[in-house]
Amino acid sequence: MNAVEHPGADAPSQSGPRARPAEQGVVISRGTRVYLRTMVPQDLEHLSAWVEDPFLERMVGSEFLHSYKHVWDKSPAFYESVLTDPTQVALVIEAYRGWTKPVGVVRLFNIHLLEGYAFLETILTDMRAMKRGFGIEAAKLIAYYGMDVLGLRRLEAKVYEYNVLSMNSLRRNGFRQEGVLRQAGYDGERYWDLVIFGILKDEIEAVRRRDKVYLPLDPSEGNGREPT
Amino acid sequence: MSAVAIDEPVDRATTEAGQALHGLTRLRLAGPLTAATAPQLRARIRDVLEHGHPRVVVDLQAVTGLDAAGLAVLLDARRMLLAQAGGTLVLRANGIVCRALKETGTIAAFALSHGSGM
Repeated sequence: MNAVEHPGADAPSQSGPRARPAEQGVVISRGTRVYLRTMVPQDLEHLSAWVEDPFLERMVGSEFLHSYKHVWDKSPAFYESVLTDPTQVALVIEAYRGWTKPVGVVRLFNIHLLEGYAFLETILTDMRAMKRGFGIEAAKLIAYYGMDVLGLRRLEAKVYEYNVLSMNSLRRNGFRQEGVLRQAGYDGERYWDLVIFGILKDEIEAVRRRDKVYLPLDPSEGNGREPT
Repeated sequence: MSAVAIDEPVDRATTEAGQALHGLTRLRLAGPLTAATAPQLRARIRDVLEHGHPRVVVDLQAVTGLDAAGLAVLLDARRMLLAQAGGTLVLRANGIVCRALKETGTIAAFALSHGSGM
């Protein structure tokens, strides 16, 4: 699978003290800074806090979080619904060191296995985690998973036009801007454009070949969306 | 929590479905077939293939959940088995699995057994 063979600088040593009391769920993929694991019922406590974060709501506008809060009314049954959804895989992002709780969720949704495409959503809940590139790595790991395990050949992502950080993260992972959905998003006050990004299998492979080692990230770059 | 694969011989002497599925290697799963457990099934399918048994029935009657990863491993199993001479994959699906197959448009990709025997 796509697990990194050699744990990076942030990865705990086999014999050293663990940063977390116990590793919950099943680890699906490991990077140098974060790893992805399956959801467990206890994660609903974290989701309950995250759905109340107005910053997350504005920046991500996640249907996943929205559904948990407004459709399922934070019911524990939401966990089962995720577990039995044949169109998505939702994984929890854990950092190796310095965090006492998960740093977010990354998921592939609207998965079309026969056609080989899906949508990507990365939800990072801590600004420190964003600046350390955890979201970039988490998205990269689940993209590899989608390609290697699910057999996907194309991923898509939508970003609000004001979410420059996410756009730059996608570009760092090899995504290309493919278009703009004009005024397709609403944040409760006004309409915003949604920028569409996509990546194909060979482009994901190119990123994997390129990124044998993850380097510290530069400050935010670029000016958001490209002219169309 | 984890899906458990158990190999069992088909009782072809006593059941009609068993007679119909004679000669197939049976893998019976229980629990959720998800990202956490799908690798087990993938490994079992590979193991069965390595032992020269490309005709397989996967009994999903006791499966309690199926996500995209679980579905992907079934599609992958189908691909691997049908690539072999005489290869076959038959799914014995319950309501949960049937709903997932219909919802994703993959039901036509599989041969389904609805027999109550085995």
